[in-house]
Amino acid sequence: MIPFILRRLFSVSVTFVIVSILIFTMMHSIPGGPFDAGDMPLPPEVRARLNERYGLDQSLVTQYINYMGGVLRFDFGIPFQSPGETVLELLGRAWVPSLVLGGLGVLIGTPLGILLGIAAALRRNTWIDYLASAVATLGLTIPVFVTSMIMILVFAVWLNWVPASGWGAPDKWILPIAAYATIPMATYARYTRSAMLDTLNKPFVTVLRAKGLSETRIIYQHVLRNSAIPMVTVFLPMFIGTATGSIFVEAIFRVPGLGAYFVSSIRTRDYPLEMALMLMLTVMFCLAYLISDILYAWLNPRIRAGGRKG
Amino acid sequence: MSAFPAPPLVDIRDLSVSFPQHDGVVQAVRGVTLHVDTGESIGIVGESGSGKSVSCMAVLRLLRSPPARIEATALSLGGVDMISADNRQIADTRGRVAAMIFQDPMTAFDPVFTIGQQIVETIRVHRAVSKAEARSEAQTLLTRVEIRNPASILDSFPHQLSGGMLQRAMIAMALSCRPQILFADEPTTALDVTVQAQILQLIKQLQAEFGMGLIMVTHDLGVVAETVDRVVVMYGGKVMEQAPVQDIFDSPAHPYTRALLASMPGQGGGRQRLIEIPGASPNPANPPTGCPFHPRCTLADAQCAAAMPAMSQTGPSRQAACWKLA
Ligand SMILES: Nc1ncnc2c1ncn2[C@@H]1O[C@H](COP(=O)(O)OP(=O)(O)O)[C@@H](O)[C@H]1O
Ligand SMILES: [Mg+2]
Repeated sequence: MIPFILRRLFSVSVTFVIVSILIFTMMHSIPGGPFDAGDMPLPPEVRARLNERYGLDQSLVTQYINYMGGVLRFDFGIPFQSPGETVLELLGRAWVPSLVLGGLGVLIGTPLGILLGIAAALRRNTWIDYLASAVATLGLTIPVFVTSMIMILVFAVWLNWVPASGWGAPDKWILPIAAYATIPMATYARYTRSAMLDTLNKPFVTVLRAKGLSETRIIYQHVLRNSAIPMVTVFLPMFIGTATGSIFVEAIFRVPGLGAYFVSSIRTRDYPLEMALMLMLTVMFCLAYLISDILYAWLNPRIRAGGRKG
Repeated sequence: MSAFPAPPLVDIRDLSVSFPQHDGVVQAVRGVTLHVDTGESIGIVGESGSGKSVSCMAVLRLLRSPPARIEATALSLGGVDMISADNRQIADTRGRVAAMIFQDPMTAFDPVFTIGQQIVETIRVHRAVSKAEARSEAQTLLTRVEIRNPASILDSFPHQLSGGMLQRAMIAMALSCRPQILFADEPTTALDVTVQAQILQLIKQLQAEFGMGLIMVTHDLGVVAETVDRVVVMYGGKVMEQAPVQDIFDSPAHPYTRALLASMPGQGGGRQRLIEIPGASPNPANPPTGCPFHPRCTLADAQCAAAMPAMSQTGPSRQAACWKLA
C-alpha cells in the first residue's frame, strides 16, 4: 500500500506542475494587463514603471520561475485589487466562510444522500424510492442557483423562518448551507441507489443467502462494502461540482467567501490573486483525486492484493 | 425398518413456479413432485430451460417473491416447511440443513473478502464457535476438498484463485455446517474439462463420507452416470421420468430420455460431437398443450397433443409420464 501511495503522490505532483504552467500561460495570454484599465488611463511611463515593479516586463518563463519560487515560500505576492494586504492574508480572511459553507454542506449532504440511496435501493418501488429519485433528479438537473432562489423565496420570504442572505450570525448560515448540501445529496442519492442495486443483483449475494446469512447481515457486511467501490469514483466529479457550485451559492447569499474573487480577479487581470486561487483549487482537486484513488485501492482487493497464488 | 417411516429429507409435491411479466407469464416449473431420502443422491437432468435451477432455488426460497409465484402442496427440507417458514427459520435452514453450490465459482464469492473470512463467516452464522476455532475448521475442510496449501488459500482473495480451486473452496464452504442435503447446480459446467471429473469425484466421495443427501443438477447425462443413485428427467417444467441410474441407461422408458441418451457424446459408436435433439425446447411463456415434448417426439399423435399423461409405474421403483409406454 505504501509504494502505491508514493507512486500516486509523485504522479499527482507532476500533474500539479503541469496544471500550474497551463494556468499561468492562460492567465497571461488574456489580452490586456492589470494597469491599462478603461476610465483612468495611466500615462505610459507610469504603466511601464508599474509593470517593471511587478516584473510584468520580463519573459513569461522568468515570471513563472520567479512566481513558483515565491509559492514554495508561501509568498503569493500582493493582490492588485487590494494592495494593502498580501494574497495570503486575503485568502486567510476570505476562505473561512467558504470552508464553513463547503465543509458543512458536504458533511451534511453526503450522509443524507447515501442514506436516501440505501433506503431507495432496499425499498424499491415504494414512496421512499420515488422520493429519492425525485430528489436526485431535481438536484442534478436544476442548477444550484435556481434551487437557492427557490429556497430564499420559500423559507426566507414566505415563511420568514431564516434571513435571506448575509453571513454574520449562524442563523444566516442555514439557507446557504442547505442549498449547497443539495449538490452532494442529489449526487450520492443517485449513485448509492444504483450501486446498491447493481451489487444486490450479483450472483455472490444469492450464495450469501444460500449460506444462511440474514438479509441485514448481507446488506451491512457485504453489499455496502461492495457498493462503496464504484461510489468512490463519484467522489471526484462531485467534489468539482460542489466547488464550482460554491461560486454561485456564495454570490446569491452574499457570503463573503472566495467565490467572488474568482470572477473579479479575472476581470481585473489580478494575476497574483487569480493564480493563488487557481493553484489552491488545483491542490484541492489533486488531493481529492489522491484520496479517491487510495480509497478505491483500499476497498478493492483486486488492486490492493495483486495476482494469483493458488 | 421402523413402523413409522422417516419423512423424506426433501419433500416436493406438485411444485409450480411462475414469473409474471408484462407480456405474459413464464411458467418455469409446472407441477414437479420429487423426494430425496436421507443419504440418497439423485440427479436432475434435462436440457437448458427445463426448470431444474428454478426448482432448486424455489425449495431454498432463493427466488425473489414477488415477482416469483411459488405454489406447492408440500415443500419441505429436513422437516422444515419452507412455505410457511418465516425469514429467520428460512435463513436458519439454509446452510445448516441444506447447502447449495452453484455453476460459476468465479462469481460465487464476495470479491472483497478472503476465502477464509467467507468460510469462517458461514460457520459462525450457524454455530457458536470462536473465530480461531472456525478458522482451524475451515483449514481442515480445505484439506478435505484436497487443497494442498490450505493456509495460503484461506488468506487468498477470490480473484487470485482458479475456477477449479474456487469450486473446491465453495464445496468446503457448503460442507462447513454439515448439511443433510447438498444441492449442486451444474457444479462443473463452468470448469475446464480436465478439472470436471475431479470435482465430480470429490462431490461423490464427500457425499458418502458425510452421509448426506445430494441433488446433482445437470444437462449432461454423463455427469450423473458416475455420481447418483437415481435420476429425475425434466422437460418443459415437468418431470418426464424417474428411475435408478442404471435403468435410465439400460432401459430408458420415455422417448425424451432416449433422445437425451442418443445426444450424449461418446454414445452410439463413439461419436464425440454432441448431437442435438431436433426441434427447439418449448417457450415457457406459451407451453404446448398436452405433453410438452410432443412437438419434437417421433412417436407423438393426437392424444399426446391433447392431454398430459399421468406418472405411471414402469417398474418396481421407477415411473414415467408418457402415452406411448411399451
Ligand atoms: N427470474 C426469472 N424471471 C423470469 N423467467 C425466469 C427466471 N428464472 C428463470 N426463468 C425462466 O424459467 C425457465 C427455467 O429456467 P431454469 O430453471 O434456470 O432452467 P434450467 O433447467 O436450465 O436450470 C427458463 O425458461 C428461464 O428463462
Ligand atoms: Mg440451470
